[in-house]
Parts: sequence; C-alpha cells; structure tokens
Amino acid sequence: MSLDLLLIVAFSGALLTYVFGKISSKMRNAFGVVVSLALVVMVALLYGQTEEKIFYFGFLNLPLILRTNMLAWFFAISVSALGLLCIVFSLSYMKGRERGDFYYLMMLLINGAMLGIVFSGDLVSFFIFWEVMSWSTFLLISYNRGKALFAGMKYIIMSILGSVAMLIGMLSLYATYDTLNIVTLSTLISSASSGYLLFLSIIFCIAFAIKNAVMPLHTWLPEAYAEAPSPFTAVLSGMLTRMGMYGFLLIMYVMVGAARVLNLGPGLFKFNYILAWLGAVTIVIPTFIAMLQNDAKMLLAWHGIGQGGYMVLGIAFGTSLGVAGGIFHTLNHAIYIVLLFLSVAAVQYRTHGERDLNSLGGLIKKMPIAFIGGLLGISGLIGVPLTNGFASKWLIYKTLILEGSPFLAFAALIGTWGTILSVFKFLHNMFLGQLPEKYQDVKKSPFSMQLPIIILSFAILLFGILPGIPLKVINAIGVSFGFESLNVTFWGIASDTGALNTINIFAAVLVGCLVVALLFKIGPKATPIAQDDNYAAGAPVPKDKYHYTVDFYNPLYRMITPYLKDFIDAFYMKLAGWTQSLSNGVRRIYTGYVGHYVMYIVLFLASLIFIQLKWSPW
Amino acid sequence: MHVVEIIVSPLLALIIGIFFLGLSRKIMARIHWRYGPPITQPVIDVIRLFSQKAFSHGMMFNLGIILSLAGSFVLILFLPMGNICPLSNSGGMLVILYVMLLAPLGIALSGGEAANPNVSIGISRKLIIALGYEVPLLLVLLTIMTRYHTISIVEIVRIQQNTTWALLDLPLLLSGIAYILILPAILGVRPFEIVQAPQEISSGPMAEYGGPFLALATIQHALSLFIGIALFVNLFLGGAGNPFTFFLKMLVVFILVLFINAALPRLRVEQAVKYLWRWPTLISLAGMIIILIIRR
Repeated sequence: MSLDLLLIVAFSGALLTYVFGKISSKMRNAFGVVVSLALVVMVALLYGQTEEKIFYFGFLNLPLILRTNMLAWFFAISVSALGLLCIVFSLSYMKGRERGDFYYLMMLLINGAMLGIVFSGDLVSFFIFWEVMSWSTFLLISYNRGKALFAGMKYIIMSILGSVAMLIGMLSLYATYDTLNIVTLSTLISSASSGYLLFLSIIFCIAFAIKNAVMPLHTWLPEAYAEAPSPFTAVLSGMLTRMGMYGFLLIMYVMVGAARVLNLGPGLFKFNYILAWLGAVTIVIPTFIAMLQNDAKMLLAWHGIGQGGYMVLGIAFGTSLGVAGGIFHTLNHAIYIVLLFLSVAAVQYRTHGERDLNSLGGLIKKMPIAFIGGLLGISGLIGVPLTNGFASKWLIYKTLILEGSPFLAFAALIGTWGTILSVFKFLHNMFLGQLPEKYQDVKKSPFSMQLPIIILSFAILLFGILPGIPLKVINAIGVSFGFESLNVTFWGIASDTGALNTINIFAAVLVGCLVVALLFKIGPKATPIAQDDNYAAGAPVPKDKYHYTVDFYNPLYRMITPYLKDFIDAFYMKLAGWTQSLSNGVRRIYTGYVGHYVMYIVLFLASLIFIQLKWSPW
Repeated sequence: MHVVEIIVSPLLALIIGIFFLGLSRKIMARIHWRYGPPITQPVIDVIRLFSQKAFSHGMMFNLGIILSLAGSFVLILFLPMGNICPLSNSGGMLVILYVMLLAPLGIALSGGEAANPNVSIGISRKLIIALGYEVPLLLVLLTIMTRYHTISIVEIVRIQQNTTWALLDLPLLLSGIAYILILPAILGVRPFEIVQAPQEISSGPMAEYGGPFLALATIQHALSLFIGIALFVNLFLGGAGNPFTFFLKMLVVFILVLFINAALPRLRVEQAVKYLWRWPTLISLAGMIIILIIRR
C-alpha cells in the first residue's frame, strides 16, 4: 500500500464529503464513515513496512518526502482508528445541527493532516501538515461561537507561537545542513556541538510542549476542550494534542538520538531531567485543579493536561522502561479519554447539552452503556489493575523507583490519588446518587453512540489484561531508538527486579469474584426496590433535594482552594491585557489624522529650538 | 503446593480478621469497664445476617459489594504471610497499592446506586481521608523501595529476614515512625473513624446494606483490618518466617492500635487531613531525604 495514495484518499475524501453534504446529509454521513474506515484498513496494511518516497520535488528546491516505520505506524493506527470511532459517534450527535458539512470536512481534514504529520519524512511537509492541523482545529474549536470563539483565539495564538519556534529551528537546520530530510539530518546531527543540539532540542520542544500542553504552556487547553463540540473534543484530547508527543519523540530520539539527548546540559540541569520535572509538575497541579471543576468537560480537560505529564515524564526519563511507558501511555490515554468524552457527549445528547456536574445525577439506570463507558474510562484514567492505564503507569513508576528518583515517583503516584478523587466525583455526580425529576424519562443512547463506547470499553480491558499486544510494537520502536529490548510477554514484562503478570491478577480477580458471588448466592435472594427507597435513620429522604453533589469534597476544598489557582493563565491574560493597553496607547498617538501628525512635528521642532536657545548644544 | 497456598492464605486472613473484630469488641468493653460480647460474636452476626432478608437497589448495588470483597481477597494473595505468598511475582508493591483501590471503589459504586445522601457523604469522606494518608504513606513506601532497591514485597521481607527489621534499621527509623503515626488512619479507627461515623451519617457507606450485603461488608471490614496490619508487619517488622510468628506480631500491633482507638475521640475531616499532612508527612519526607543522601 503506497503512502501517497493514503494521503490522497484522506484529503480528497474530506473534500468529497463536503461536496456530498451539499446533495444529501445521509450520503455525506455514509461517505465520511467509508473514508475513515478505508483509512484504518490502509494504515493497518502498512504494518511492519519501512518505505521512503519522494512525492514532490519543486517546493523551494526541497524534496517532500513520505516515509513509514514502526513509530509512524503506531501513531497512524491510533489516529485513524479513534478518528473512525469519533466520526461514527458524530452521526447522531451532529444530527439536526447547523453547518454539518463544514464539521465533517474539518474532522476528516484534521484526520488526514495528522496522518500526514506522522508519515512525513522531511520537516517541510511536517510543518505544512502541522499548520493544516492547527488551523482546522481552530475553526472547529470555535464551531459553537460565543465563548468558543475566545477559546479558539487563545488556542491559535499559542499555536502560532509554537509554529514560530518550530520555524526558527527548521531555518537554522536548513542553514547549517542544507537539507530537511529527517533521516539525513539524524546522521548529520550526531557530530554537532552540544550547544547547538541543546538549542535545537529546546526550540523544538517549545513547539511540541505547547501542543502537548506541558506546564507552563498549557493554558489554551482547558477552555478549548470544554468549548469544542464533544466528539471533536474526543479527537482533540485523544490524538491531536498527542501529536506533541510524536514531536517530542521525533526530535529527541529520532533526530538528536538517545545517546546525545540524554547528556545535554550541565550536571543536575540536564535537558531531559528538567523536562522530566516539568512533566512531574504537569501531573500534580492540573490533577488537583481538576478536583475543583464542576464542568464535566473542564474536569476531563484538566486531566488531559495531567496525563500528558505522565507521558512526558516517561519519555524524558530516558530509560527503556520509561520510554516504553511514555509511548504506551499515549495510546492508553487516547483510548480512555476518548471514551470518557464520548460518554459525556452521550449524556449531553440526551440532557440538552447539560455538562454541569451539579445538575446531573442518577443516570445509571437510564443510560447503562454510557455508565459502563464512564466507569471503565475512569478506571483506565486512575490505572486500576486490569485496565490499560495500569500497565503503562506501572512501567513508568517502576523505572522511576529503581533508578533512584523517588520524588518524581511520588509526584506521579500522588497525581494518581488526586485523580481518584476528581474522577469519582465525575462519575458519581453524573450517574450515581439521586436522579433529578426532570430527567425521569431520559432515553438510552442511540446505537451509533453505543457502538464506539462499547468498542473502546473492550479495548481498555483488552490492553489491560494483555498489555503485551501493543507493548510488542512499542518495544520495536524502543529498539529502533537504540534502547535495550524489554522482555515482553503477552501478559506483561518479565524482569529480575519485579515482574508484571496481568494474567495472574486477572485470574485472581475472576476467581475471587466468582467465589464471593457464590457466597452471595447462599443468602436469601434480595428483593429489588426503587432507587429512592432509602434508609435515613427514621427521617425520609426527599426526592430531588438531597443529592450530595455541590462541593463534593467540601472539607478538602476549604483547605486547598487558595493554593490551586491557575496563576500561569492569570499571568498570560495579564500579559495580553498589557499588550492590548500598550497598543491602545500607541493607537492614541498614531491616530491617522494628519492634523495630529503636523502637531507632533511642530512640537518636536519647537522643543529642538527651545533646547538650542537655552543650552545651545549644536 | 501453590494451589494449597492460594486457598489457605485467604482463609487464614479471614479467620484472623474476624478474630480481630471479636477481640476488639472484647478489649474495648474491658477498657470501658463493661463485660462485652463473647469473642465469637462477629461469627454469629455474619451467620445471622446471611439468613436475613435483603433489599437491593439494582445490578451495580450487588456487583459493587462483590467486587469490593473480591478485591480484598485478591490483595491478600499478594501479601506474604510468613512463608506463604501465592502471587509473589506478579507486580509487587505497585500492584498492592493499586489493588487496595478495588475495595473502596466497589463499596462506592455499590452504595452510589442508592439515592441516599448519607452514603455519598461517607464515600466523599473516605476519599478525602485516603488522600490524606496516602501522601505520607507513599513517601514511606517509596523510601523503603528505594532503600532496598526492589519493588517486590517478598524481596523486602527477605532482606529484612537476612538483616534486621526495617524499623530498627536506623536510616528507615523516621519512615517507620511516620507509618506508625498514620496506621490508625489507614485502619479507619478512632480518631480517624470519620467514614462510618454512626452518630453523624448513619454509618455512611453501610447505610443501605442489610442481610447478606451487610454480612459481606462485615467480612470486607475484617479483611481490611488484616491487610492494613499485615502490610505494616511485612514492611517494618520484618515479616516472619512462619504464619504463627506473623500472627503474633500482628496481634501486638492490633492491640496497640485498639488502645489508641479507645483513648481518643473522633476528629473532624479537615482536622484529620491537617494532622496527616503535617507531622507524618514532614517526618516521612525527612526519612526519604536521608535515604537519598545515603545512596549518593
């Protein structure tokens, strides 16, 4: 399967979907699904191939190159598969909304651009696809107008800053080596001086840290996630943000190379060490801020930032376990965060867009599939054993502990415990507790929403019980970076310093549940009663009144709220405010009115004459 | 041999846990100058509960309590009890830390399906107090794993058997003290009995349970007592060469905890968290820094 055909299908499919949308919306929907399905199949067929292909010569005398290898394939299959699921989910979600053609065009365009990014063999095409992705994302974030416009503006400003940083890096590389082919560069670069490599790593990492929302460059993310249309938020959080991770891997391990990048900078202030610490900060603070959120999507968005910290921490730590854990966590995070956003979207779809956690509740019986999606999603996010998040976090923790970085390990672990609090609040306030009267006759989600949720839930358990399936691919990537091969089995990792065996855990949990279930069966059969038929020490529990949701962790909030403001965002906003008032000031001088300019000139001359008369310096 | 261990170790834990429940009521009664119930009272209670009628709020209500108890049984398979440890090489301390989640998660999901605000308040308190003691606990566990350079609890016990108890190992002394300070919070006894708090929130997460549900919840409580103490014995009192010595060590620790339980009143939630984040955290942090300096 050739690479250029893949991209032609992706981009022409996007445009054709738009054209078909003008004819009939059913045709558009069907065609959109077919295109995304075709992309999944075509990417899957590329498994294990390495191919490089020059597809265009003329651009500034630079050849544009496509190439595929294990790393590109790993990201491409995640992008295309999750993209397909989100398109399928959109079928009912977007029904009856305005500008549907535009929405599908942008979704497919972004999908194609992300495939382009991972398959790019040179930095020019990388940059072109990167910009296509960034700008389409801006348009989709602002889709809902109103507050979304502001969120989109914030996103695109930071994104442009990132692109500028990347452009500087590219120009510098081109000026030095006269080529932008990634493979050629990676061999040329190995003889560069440490100072130049440090400059390259920093300038590119700024670009990718903005996309991956590493603190302190994260501030675009929460509002963008919250305001974008929910199925697109899923794509945005699952894969698009993680293109930053692909970028990190590209600059650190493909171009600069593991041997050099892990020794950049002096002593304790090594480049990768500082990046790891940024990752740790990115884990802890956003996770605790997430605890204070009352908006379902905002809460997940802050976790999106926090989980990105685990990935950065893993790959920046730079051991074979850490890098494998970081890459694996990228995939796992994509699966469960897409699942969570889709579950929220399913609830929103049935409750007229409600995403305020204090107004929902008790939906477990009304929307069981969405509940299962939410439950498995948060289990993955926490990293409960037998869900996928556990396996990748285990790899990261283990390497942090054994390599003697208990403080980083502590940051990662305490982040997990903060996660438990906030995501349980998320699940409880939406699905458990009292059902508000107004949602008494909420219906189940339509099938096209249930299907992606079921598939993703299954994937979470599959990769949790048999983490070896993706780990074999990831191990191959690690080996191509020059790390030692891990002893991967289907159910974990064998090692002398503590092995992981998920199949044992699975068997134990299964048998444990069966034994307890049998024990449970011995007793008399329980009589089913209504959800609101409760014991309250003699007092009745009034319906619709006592749903314990607002300030769910009140005693804790009182303690930690003063410390958990997004100071960085406040600082940036202040900076933006200053820039604006400065520009306003400048505008007051440059009024565009000729009389004023004449007055300035006269005043200037008058002051010169005055100086000359008084002190006669000339 | 392996299969026998898998069956024996949860049974032993169950017997010890239930015995502890009975013993605690007896000792508490004696401290209160009462006669107290017979030591077999919890066994009688569980059997009685199994024969009583129960009401269920739905599927998750049943599954949650099953998951909770199963989670506790699974956790016991990971804990060395003397020389018995069935799942010694499946993930070590990190898996133990995470499997400890299953029990409260199960109860939370199960109780959540009922629309009882007391249950929700209880769960919220449980999560807050867990976050409170996890901070010092994680510091302590990381210190000990860094010190012995392994993530396997069996290995930690073996090293202590060959050298000396971690509590008596001077660099780990501070971590041991921090662990002792948070042990009542981990076990959920007074002054940290804020999750159940019968006088305030009708026993919190337990409020909706009756009959077999309550029986399972009681067994789960017994097992969680066992787990909390067994973890401490394994990590700081050197584990044991055989189950009997192990049991004796656990008994001593448990009785000491009971004295604290009898002597102190219940704290408010934020008082508890403030306590946990102050002295135990500072001491365990100091312990970790000492270990890091020694390693350099």
